[in-house]
Amino acid sequence: MLYIKCPYCGLRAQKEFSYGGDATVKRPNINEEVSSEDWDNFVYMRKSPRGKHIELWQHIAGCRQWIKVQRDTATHEIFQTAKVTEEIR
Amino acid sequence: MQKYSVFSLIKNAFSNHQNWEVAWKDPTPKSEYDVVIIGGGGHGLATAYYLAKEHNIRNVAIIEKGWIGGGNVGRNTTIIRSNFMYDANARFNEFGMDLWRNLSQELNFNVMFSPRGIINLAHSDAQMNAYARRGNSMRLNGIDAKLLDRDEVKKLIPMADFSDEVRFPIFGGLMQPSAGTARHDAVAWGYARQADDMGVDIIQHCEVTGFDVVNGKIKGIRTSRGDIKAKKVGLCVAGSTNILAEKLNMTLPIETHVLQACVSEPVKPLLDGVVTFGAGHFYISQSDKGEMVMGGDLDGYNSYAQRGNLPTIQHVLTGGLALFPFLSRLKMLRTWGGIMDMSMDGSPIIDKTHIEGLYLNCGWCYGGFKSTPVSGWTFAHTIAKDQVHELNSELRLNRFSTGHLLDEKGLGTKTWIG
Amino acid sequence: MSQPFRLNKEGLINRNKKISFTFNGKKLFGYEGDTIASALIANGIHLVGRSFKYHRPRGFFGAGVEEPNAKLQVEFNGHSEPNVNATEMELVEGLSATSQNCWPSVNFDVGAINNFLKMFFPAGFYYKTFMWPKSFWYKIYEPFIRKAAGLGVASIEKDKERYEHKFEYCDLLVTGSGPSGLASAYAAAKNGAKVILAEDKPRFGGTLLTDDVSIDNLSGKDWAEKIITELKSMPNVTVKNRSQVFGYYDHNMLVMFERVSDHLEKKSKFTPRQRLWYIRAKETILSTGSIERPIVFGNNDTPGIFLSAAAKEYMKVYGVLVGKKPLIFTNNDSAYETALEFKKNNVEPIILDTREEHSSELIDEAKSKGIDIRFSHGVIVANGYKKVKSAKIGKLNKDKNSFEKIETVDCDCICVSGFWTPSVHLASQSGNKLKYEEKIDAFIPDKKKQHETSVGAANGSFTLEESLKHGFENGSNLSAKITETKTEISIPNVNEKKYGAHDKFWCMPLPKNENPKRFVDFQNDVSVSDIEIALREGYRSIEHVKRYTTLGMATDQGRTSNLNGLQLVSNIENKIVPEVGHTTFRPPFTPITIGTIVGREVGMEYMPTRKTPMHEWHEKNNAVFVDAGAWKRPRYYKLGSETLFEASKREAKNVRENVGICDVTTLGKIDIKGPDAAEFLNRVYTNAWMKLPVGKARYGLMLREDGIVMDDGTTTRISENHYHMTTTTAQAANVLSHLEYYLQIVWPELNVNVVSTTEQWAGAAIAGPKSRDMLSKLYPDLDVSNEALPFMSYKEAEFFGVPSRIFRISFSGELAYEINVKSDHGMFMWEKMMEVGKDFGNQPYGTEALSTLRIEMGHVAGPELDGRTIPSDVSLNGLVSKKKDFIGKNSLGREAFNVESRQKIVGLIPIDRKSSIPEGSHIVQDQNAKLPNPKLGHVSSSCWSVENNNPFSLAIMKDGKNMIGKKFFAVSPLKNKSIEVEVISSHYVDPEGKRVRS
Repeated sequence: MLYIKCPYCGLRAQKEFSYGGDATVKRPNINEEVSSEDWDNFVYMRKSPRGKHIELWQHIAGCRQWIKVQRDTATHEIFQTAKVTEEIR
Repeated sequence: MQKYSVFSLIKNAFSNHQNWEVAWKDPTPKSEYDVVIIGGGGHGLATAYYLAKEHNIRNVAIIEKGWIGGGNVGRNTTIIRSNFMYDANARFNEFGMDLWRNLSQELNFNVMFSPRGIINLAHSDAQMNAYARRGNSMRLNGIDAKLLDRDEVKKLIPMADFSDEVRFPIFGGLMQPSAGTARHDAVAWGYARQADDMGVDIIQHCEVTGFDVVNGKIKGIRTSRGDIKAKKVGLCVAGSTNILAEKLNMTLPIETHVLQACVSEPVKPLLDGVVTFGAGHFYISQSDKGEMVMGGDLDGYNSYAQRGNLPTIQHVLTGGLALFPFLSRLKMLRTWGGIMDMSMDGSPIIDKTHIEGLYLNCGWCYGGFKSTPVSGWTFAHTIAKDQVHELNSELRLNRFSTGHLLDEKGLGTKTWIG
Repeated sequence: MSQPFRLNKEGLINRNKKISFTFNGKKLFGYEGDTIASALIANGIHLVGRSFKYHRPRGFFGAGVEEPNAKLQVEFNGHSEPNVNATEMELVEGLSATSQNCWPSVNFDVGAINNFLKMFFPAGFYYKTFMWPKSFWYKIYEPFIRKAAGLGVASIEKDKERYEHKFEYCDLLVTGSGPSGLASAYAAAKNGAKVILAEDKPRFGGTLLTDDVSIDNLSGKDWAEKIITELKSMPNVTVKNRSQVFGYYDHNMLVMFERVSDHLEKKSKFTPRQRLWYIRAKETILSTGSIERPIVFGNNDTPGIFLSAAAKEYMKVYGVLVGKKPLIFTNNDSAYETALEFKKNNVEPIILDTREEHSSELIDEAKSKGIDIRFSHGVIVANGYKKVKSAKIGKLNKDKNSFEKIETVDCDCICVSGFWTPSVHLASQSGNKLKYEEKIDAFIPDKKKQHETSVGAANGSFTLEESLKHGFENGSNLSAKITETKTEISIPNVNEKKYGAHDKFWCMPLPKNENPKRFVDFQNDVSVSDIEIALREGYRSIEHVKRYTTLGMATDQGRTSNLNGLQLVSNIENKIVPEVGHTTFRPPFTPITIGTIVGREVGMEYMPTRKTPMHEWHEKNNAVFVDAGAWKRPRYYKLGSETLFEASKREAKNVRENVGICDVTTLGKIDIKGPDAAEFLNRVYTNAWMKLPVGKARYGLMLREDGIVMDDGTTTRISENHYHMTTTTAQAANVLSHLEYYLQIVWPELNVNVVSTTEQWAGAAIAGPKSRDMLSKLYPDLDVSNEALPFMSYKEAEFFGVPSRIFRISFSGELAYEINVKSDHGMFMWEKMMEVGKDFGNQPYGTEALSTLRIEMGHVAGPELDGRTIPSDVSLNGLVSKKKDFIGKNSLGREAFNVESRQKIVGLIPIDRKSSIPEGSHIVQDQNAKLPNPKLGHVSSSCWSVENNNPFSLAIMKDGKNMIGKKFFAVSPLKNKSIEVEVISSHYVDPEGKRVRS
């Protein structure tokens, strides 16, 4: 079971969280024109690297905040967690 | 090639089994092939076999990073079925069922396909209705399906929990009697042996490090054992698709996830068919060796680790006990994980790509094993003819932009929700 | 009753307490502290089972987890359990054990015919045959194979035992209480660290219980006892025996299972049988020790052949002799200790040492005691079928590939030692890539991957001095980093025997023209020749060898066979062992009962049961419940002998004619507050929300970004910046997460907060033409006229003194209201409604009637919104704004969603007005067409229209908009039904929606 540091609540067991996938997906702005290609990429294309992956989790059984987690998809090691408003690099 | 039979077995016994030939050779890669298939798993091996057999293309190499059959073909829970709702998936896999039924004889290798049936259990009327929709669709497609009521289920699996002390009682189920199981390793080895015999080079421990693409055309691949030229290249690396796609600057509607399975210690035969629980993520069958083979749910986050965590196993087995309380006293012997290409609508992709001569076979989610023969068959056709076959005409990449999706579960793009 | 092989005084068993048990029906006894194995051996019983494939007689080989053979069917506490490891299971009064995988008995097993036909059953034989005729595989061959396979028999009785889970956090977890483990735990404890020390066996001390050593002038055993006693007295230490750490998972999560009560004669009702511990450790000491590996020789699987350390353990721990005429067959010094122990108990061993004559402390001691030692010797083949009677032994030539002399010696047991293999399972599971240590011919942990530190034998250090030193040092250093306290501990003085070098020798050659089976993996019957065949046939990767021969895949997971298998492969392939590599170590270390893994979530506790505040009333009034996710909802209220069909028809009819009330508490409710709430709703829903006045409700439709309908429901503007959203029961949690996602990630600039209030409110719908009359009696002081409280409006008012919310909304299509009160008042509200409603013919109605009402109105629900439909499919495109943007809008323009013949919802009625159309039927043009028969759509919901008194269904049909008035067949091959139907509008009742506005 992963051990995820919620930036609001501290280290918590994975079962308190739900997963949200690739955090680098950026939704096209509301009320702005977008090409179908860009739109389809937003809906269906995901980064799925072997190695460092920035992803979303939601602390559903805690503060209910969505957070960013940088995790290695090969070893599951977590390098960094952050609020969604913060950058992970 | 040496033919396998009871007679050859007896004959060899008298020479102390000293005269068996190798099942496949260990060639060094040539500098050029007509077709290079990347991935020595079930689908890659089957593709090479059908290229040679159906299309007489024999100057073919299979490039495998590790050892053949080491990916999901050797890690799955061996279920074979065609109980799909969408016509495209149903007809594709039913064609595959016909291949399965003759596979042992065709490959002269006992893949132990057994039509022991699969039952999807329902625990509410709403679920029964959803299964009826799927089952009727199967029947109209000429696939066998039966709707079972509670009593009929009880006759088939009396050891399931039919007591009053059960949270989600069994209402009935949908059964595909012709579905079944096979010996997974044997499928890989059987295809490898025949492909090798027809001239295919099976190259193990050879990692693809790059692609040679010139003016939108594939020219060859770069590997840890040198460059190999190829007129056509087929990608058949479910689980690692995204890694190779990255080398081609392609992004695909696929996420990579780990799925665990486990087996119990072997016990005497108790369960004949495959059963899936309808109120949780759990399915089970009993292997010929006597082990209960069980699985159910993704670990639920992107992963390339062929290992998972215990809470997922716990979650899956909790469903198992809800269905079969007797499992409580059996012991879990071994758990393992496999890496899945989770496509955004839950259905696979077998298609050409924007790069001429490069073909894609991926997105199998957790259902690749059952499609091994038909995947190889259609992929071989797609490569040989440079066009999709009718059977995979809806399994194309462009469905994600046209909207012609094949979402069997209706879950959308959250691939990690089983 | 005597025990011919029990020593008079040795051992740690309690000789004051006899325990009776049966084995294969025979009454026997042992002592408290015995395992089934030690008790049977004490009674001179060695033949306990038959092997998997050849049904060869098998006895005990080890004394613990390494045991490959002795798996028994054991009945105790009224339950029969298969595959119980006899060397681990402690003896309890009344236990009854039987042999497995043999018929009719372990002594005479018909299956043993396989042993005589074994030449025809080499590795992988089943891949080469059983293929003709085709139909025979599934019908004839496979059932036969299945019957022959399997070990024990699973009972299908429900398990009455209780299993528990426990979650722990600690600074240091120590896995194994041998010398290095004790030292680590002790040093860490002294530094004030929170320590958990886990020992798999019932007794603490590991090899200290059996080795002839002293520490600080105490015997190993006494020193272990002293340390354990002190550890137990410390508040920061948890010491657990019968507890095995079996899995090392991500982020330093280790899992342990504790055998709490199987060894107890009596236990209280709530004592669990086993307990699973999830332990999050900051640091982990892996002091799991090592397992002796055998040397491979002919018929090495014969009962009476033991690992040499096991033989010693039987003497020293259980006071049991594994034989009285032992042969000790070794390539190293450790087996000399076994020989000396025999000698001490007046048994004369013969030592066969594969090494050339040389000297070491132990050899000298054995010599001085007059033990017969034969250097450059080994066992070629064991003689005897059900028990070793003698052994053909040989003097090896210099190259150790042939014999200078062969003779036969009598013996009744052979104790074999091929040196030691560190137990690296947990380290490997943690992600540690192992490295091959030439010095000990085995793998040891390499650079740490998580917070694991291997010490002692698990790390390849086989001397006590080194083990203790590493234990103390690592325990101290690792814990000091956490507690920032360092207590100096002096490392105790150790007295142990020095071992000489071992012989890198692991498989005996065979003399010419002799071909006995030399087993590598006992349980799966994998022999040297099987591995040779696999390699010959090209299965050369170690994983291929494993899978083709099944080496190491039995229930003992190859603990005594893996390394020998590797050696064999590397020899034949002319490679060094690390090049061949090893197969993966996977959890669990030993098999764990599934009951333990699952814990308490069994039976009715499989999933929590959510009940509404009115649940008890429903129960008392004969509600039949239906599961809606975790919720229980009344499906119908049964009057007398009514069926579901009759009851739901009655309830629905009563709503259409009078008034009914329905518990709608389970609907998801979300409070939405903030100045940007309207803008947020406007983006979330497909329709317009900017102009909804306070006190008004609106129906809304939300999509996923891929354009598929996600959920629907009404949202009410409670006040300027406060909205109350309802969702379907099924989607409540998803919708909340969805809203939070957009607010927190996509549009953080919107000043809006959302929170679930599903549990805060009890809800009841009042529906039917008389609902307004009833409402006026429920709210005597409120103007409930159509003008004052029109359709889609909202009011707050007191309900008999408690605050309540009144929504004039309708799912049934009738004039209807929904009342919400605080959950605590739910029952009060419901009972009041029932009381007041009497005058209006009110009856409660369940989900089935609710379905009928909504279906005949053409309102869509779960079966239509199945995750594949877009708004126009379900005739809700009127709610899709063309003017503004919203979630999923851009997807609606896609080709497939706009084809001319796109599917659309329609109504179906049977031509005969009688035949109900089964849900899940498909619509076809020609019911007799040949397959595949093209499908034009499917029936999503069916009901008996109480309004028109005939069946009515909703269907989603290709080109639905152009199908009205046409006739088709709704076919359900599964139910053998084909019904001719006419396509009509999906709004079968009150298509103009007059009633809801009346």
